[in-house]
Amino acid sequence: MAKKKCVAMLLAGGKGSRLNSLTKELAKPAVPFGGKYRIIDFPLSNCANSNIDTVGVLTQYQPLLLNSYIGIGSAWDLDRKDGGVTVLPPYAESSEVKWYTGTASAIYQNLNYLKQYQPDYVLILSGDHIYKMNYENMLEYHIEKRADVTISLIEVPWNEASRFGIMDTDEDLRITDFDEKPDNPKNNLASMGIYIFSWNILKEYLEMDERNPDSSHDFGKDVIPMLLEENKKLFAYPFKGYWKDVGTVKSLWEANMDLLSEDCDLDLFDHGWRIYSVNPNQPPQYISSDAIVKESLINEGCTIEGEVDKSVLFQGVTVGKGTIIKESVIMPDAIIGSNCLIEKAIVQEDVKVPDGTVIRSFDDEIILVTNEMLSGLYPAF
Amino acid sequence: MKRELLGVIDATTYHDDLEDLLTHRSLAALPFAGRYRIIDFVLSNMVNSGIRSVAIFPKMQYRSLMDHLGSGKNWDLNRKRDGLFFFPSPIVDFDGNKIGSFENFAANLDFFYRSTQEYAIITNCNTVFNMNFRPILDWHSRSGCDITEIHHKDGGSMEMYLIKTSLLIKLIETRNETGYTCMNDVVNDLQNLYSVCHYEYDGYAVMIDSIENYFSTSMNLLQSEVWQQLFPKDQPIFTKVKDEPPTKHVKGSEVRNSMIANGCVINGSVENSIISRGVKIGKGAVIKNCIIMQKCQIEENCYLDSVILDKDVKVEAGTHLSGTAQSPFVIRKGTQQGALMNS
Repeated sequence: MAKKKCVAMLLAGGKGSRLNSLTKELAKPAVPFGGKYRIIDFPLSNCANSNIDTVGVLTQYQPLLLNSYIGIGSAWDLDRKDGGVTVLPPYAESSEVKWYTGTASAIYQNLNYLKQYQPDYVLILSGDHIYKMNYENMLEYHIEKRADVTISLIEVPWNEASRFGIMDTDEDLRITDFDEKPDNPKNNLASMGIYIFSWNILKEYLEMDERNPDSSHDFGKDVIPMLLEENKKLFAYPFKGYWKDVGTVKSLWEANMDLLSEDCDLDLFDHGWRIYSVNPNQPPQYISSDAIVKESLINEGCTIEGEVDKSVLFQGVTVGKGTIIKESVIMPDAIIGSNCLIEKAIVQEDVKVPDGTVIRSFDDEIILVTNEMLSGLYPAF
Repeated sequence: MKRELLGVIDATTYHDDLEDLLTHRSLAALPFAGRYRIIDFVLSNMVNSGIRSVAIFPKMQYRSLMDHLGSGKNWDLNRKRDGLFFFPSPIVDFDGNKIGSFENFAANLDFFYRSTQEYAIITNCNTVFNMNFRPILDWHSRSGCDITEIHHKDGGSMEMYLIKTSLLIKLIETRNETGYTCMNDVVNDLQNLYSVCHYEYDGYAVMIDSIENYFSTSMNLLQSEVWQQLFPKDQPIFTKVKDEPPTKHVKGSEVRNSMIANGCVINGSVENSIISRGVKIGKGAVIKNCIIMQKCQIEENCYLDSVILDKDVKVEAGTHLSGTAQSPFVIRKGTQQGALMNS
């Protein structure tokens, strides 16, 4: 197998339990976003655009849809003779099945995958975040700093800091302290869960971590603190731009609404950094003579006969006559009947909303519309 | 293989009436319905009918057609066995408007010898329709006819012929003795030795052969009966995939009775129009009864009525352009239209 300078490992096994029924049957990286994408399209497209052509995707929770979505990686131009995409599920060894118990153990169990490519560097990514980033620049930075590990960081609002790994750095951006999800954060510089490891360090420390019975085998909680303790060279790579962890229904809704603002930092129309996705091949959207569409993002295959205002519609959505959809996200192939009102909601994939349904939120909560929820509203339906 | 169909698409057709749209491309590659090329219809119909081997015979100006088709991957025709075959004509000078030119096929007779499919369907490349060929094959083999010509219930021949591959080979081989130059010669020769039947098709089908009917057929797409017949969910029309984001309807825009492909940013107002992928429409611009092809940029406060903009046309702010339904104003690919140019 040809040697690769840098191999990416994409952690895509997360459940995302705070997304409720959105992730009942699919892993968080497979959650639809932005009218045509799934979250994992962002890190995969970033890899393709950063000239990283070898990507291991580690799956565990509800992998069916994710596996078929990734396929052989052709959507992201990652179907390569050498390298390309490899889906890496947990596997059984002679005596036991080894589930991925933490982020570090997931990579540890795939060291053999990495060894095939004799990489100099390993880029570790999470499949949970929406952002555009040039990993090639980060790798250059890592090499320039002669770092053992480089961690990308972003400034987050103070009130959210305790949800993240928080870093302290010196003037040279060398990391002096790292607290995973601290109760009282010392600053608001958060880890984005993107690491570049020099291969020897990664291998050595993952093996060490694996031998430690007290470890939870997590990069943020175990491996990074151990590296800091041993005075390894950890550098922070500051990132500026749009970055969102869509961990909850509300934040998923917000991230979709962000796309509608005129000065959105996440430019999906940038031809120099396209976000690729599996194309559903549907006809253009049809907007009827009765329809009204305002400030919305609408994908192919939609048929709109009602009013759509400040909303994001995925492929194949039908909106009936007299229906009003406001500040909502309608996921693929949902059928909204006529004379409905849907406000501040996320309608899940393939949901059929009967004529005359009214769904609106009176507080700031975002309503998740599912078939189960509708069958509660319409017992006979 | 028994009861399998070989697809043969004659993409040599050229119509002078479409000249403004065909300076850079063949008719088969003419953009249609916002994200397709005309050939996508017949090619997808073949794929949806279970045809796994398709030969395309183009002539001249086939760069855009080849770029569009690529390896055939988008039609699932990038196969180890069979798949998509591309046979540009080595003959420069022949009548391009006879569908199924035997002289043209003869240059690639080996392909027909090697094909294992028992039957072949020979079609033109410029019909907009969604049709499954499978029932015609069943009908043909039951009827005992040598050749089945597909007719439309509202008109004449649809320039599509179903025939045993072995008979097609014989017709090609004996073209000099028989004097038959194409399929049309065979079916219209009253003295011929072969039985010819007509299969009547009653679905929506239009052969694109002039700017006027290109324009009216495009406008027909805005009628939902037509729309539903051409794009049923179970028989999709495939095309080359572009990774464009969903279309953005910006605050202040207004869209009515229109078809819009992905990657557009719409600030102005659009009515009764077909907008292709990646089109930008500026604030205050009014687009009515238009066909706007890929990546056009229409700046602020333009007024366009009954206009066809070919790909990559830039219309400067404040420009007014109008045509009529019978004679739409056509702007050629890659040109720039200024406010002062047509005043």
